[in-house]
Amino acid sequence: MASPSPVTSAESLVRHTLALCQTARAAGLAVTPAREIDIFRALKSIDWHDAGDYRLVLRTNLASGRADEILFDRVFDTYWGEPAEPESGDTILARSEMIRGSLDAGRSREGHRDMLTEAASFAGEEVTRSSNLLMRWDSDAPPLEKVIRELARRLATRPSRRTHPASHGRRIDLRRSVRRNIRHGLELVELSRVVSKVRKTRIVMLCDVSGSMDVFNPFLLQLMFGLQQTLRNSRTFVFSTRVSEISAMLRRRNIEETLEEISRTVRHWSGGTDIGAALGELNRTVLREGTSRSTVLIVISDGYDNGETQRIERELESARRRIRTLVWINPMYGATTFTVRAAGMRAAMPYIDHFLPAFNAKALHILVKGLIKIR
Amino acid sequence: MSDSIGWQHPFSQVEDVERLFDGADYVADRPLCLTTKLAFDLQKPVLLEGEAGVGKTEVAKVLAKVLDTPLIRLQCYEGLDASSTLYEWNYARQILQIRLAEADASRREGLEDSIFGEAFLFDRPLLQAIRHPGPRPAVLLIDEIDRADEEFEAFLLEILSDFQVTIPELGTFTAEQPPCVVLTSNRTRELNDALKRRCLYLWIDYPTPEKEREIILRRVPGIEAELARAVATVMGGLRAVDFYKRPGVAESLDWARALLGLDITEIVPEVVRETAGVVLKYHDDVLKLDKLDLDALIAGRTVEMQD
Repeated sequence: MASPSPVTSAESLVRHTLALCQTARAAGLAVTPAREIDIFRALKSIDWHDAGDYRLVLRTNLASGRADEILFDRVFDTYWGEPAEPESGDTILARSEMIRGSLDAGRSREGHRDMLTEAASFAGEEVTRSSNLLMRWDSDAPPLEKVIRELARRLATRPSRRTHPASHGRRIDLRRSVRRNIRHGLELVELSRVVSKVRKTRIVMLCDVSGSMDVFNPFLLQLMFGLQQTLRNSRTFVFSTRVSEISAMLRRRNIEETLEEISRTVRHWSGGTDIGAALGELNRTVLREGTSRSTVLIVISDGYDNGETQRIERELESARRRIRTLVWINPMYGATTFTVRAAGMRAAMPYIDHFLPAFNAKALHILVKGLIKIR
Repeated sequence: MSDSIGWQHPFSQVEDVERLFDGADYVADRPLCLTTKLAFDLQKPVLLEGEAGVGKTEVAKVLAKVLDTPLIRLQCYEGLDASSTLYEWNYARQILQIRLAEADASRREGLEDSIFGEAFLFDRPLLQAIRHPGPRPAVLLIDEIDRADEEFEAFLLEILSDFQVTIPELGTFTAEQPPCVVLTSNRTRELNDALKRRCLYLWIDYPTPEKEREIILRRVPGIEAELARAVATVMGGLRAVDFYKRPGVAESLDWARALLGLDITEIVPEVVRETAGVVLKYHDDVLKLDKLDLDALIAGRTVEMQD
């Protein structure tokens, strides 16, 4: 049975619809004026007193993918669940203080651990607090744009066996040349040439944000933000004992807003580690979608894991069938005394194509050189 | 679609879509019916995404059926280009004409005009849809758009916004009846944002067991209601298992037909194992069946893989 819409009059319809569009835009959906106009045109042709139809009209116009549909539903429910009150600077500041306090309290309970010398892991412990990532963002760090662009170029493109017409190039396209020279009575006067197409690769990044990776947070954030900004179609997930997708948040230009939103949304930052479960989640969702030949999976993790080692093997074996290349970036690999000790890392090694170090900008340059081989 | 061209689409209410789809034996849910109606009201293409075999392509076929209009299908693949989708000159015939003109001087006059005339033109799907004379618009199905290259998407943008094509030698063709466009994607790659913005979007999920039972009853004539229910229950359970390729509705229908053909009226574990090849298409997935509690699966309980 149709449920009544919370919108009761034409006046409130316009007001609420515009407010919902604004909220959806703030949440990361591509709400353009053209789409807003389409929504109002569509609302004219349906019975918007029906809550279900009202939601569907907005969703079908504003979503461009499955993830967008889920995001829109969340926005819609939140909007009607909590009456929209514009956030004042004071409330944001208060929340920010609360997050900071919560983070400090959490850290003092756990104690600070030097992650390069102590393999600390908090697996099995479900952390559901917020982390103030703004505090972990290193604004003085050397910019990574150039190296990330290079990294993106290496990872996201590869030459195809297919070709496309070009004004230059060594290879001659006989078929086009013949067709082009019909006007010259089939005398080959003008030659058509072709060059190889560049194929785009889909990047799926799975980043470990468990407690043992805390020390690398500034670098990880820079890397995730930079890669997602450069490769707009890539997907970024963070995991500890749970997995969260943060691609839409990372696509925003404003780093502070992004960090604020990730802090608010990803409530398992600095938690335990369950690599097998995280890989399993990707296997069931995002890795199912792409073609195996076009997906590169990048896992950024130190490999410390208290989950089931056999599960890591099982999930990696399954993932291998769904991806072309598995790149594992281990920040600890940069340490001079590094050996593969972590059980999770040992289990993963046979499935990895490229095992690379990256814990700061300099190491990332080395990583990019290593990636030259990846095609 | 109705205002500018004098053709009134038959979907004045969402319920009209439901009724007409139902008449064509397509069990459609509310979101699909509403999106279809909006596609006609707003004259926008519909982008349908979902796992393989959930009935995306079928939507376009049913739409063509209920509107009693041609279905023009463009199956996308890697390397698809404008000439394969829009128009191509009949080169063999053109060359023949040139050779004839070489042999006979009287044929040379106006040769260029004649070999670039309509008689030498091959209409490909996009041009066919644009030149469709009506009175009802054609349904243009652009199937598995994610398999085509990104350059082709950019090319489509232009076509989908204006429904107009210029052939230098012949002039500009504008659609008198803009076609109803249905794009499908299996999400093997992300589509261009610009293309997605121009479309109404709908994710088609696997059906609920009740809906699947209804689909089987409609599409497999002669099947007993109890067997249809059992098939839907098992398929729903199988989709919850982490198979490399989860079975879609198409596999459910195939399986139901297979069971009917084998005169099987009751599903027992042995039947599932023996006919697994109809449902599961990878050897590893078939092997996984041995790790499942098939009795529980048939009874509709959640099953997990046993090591």
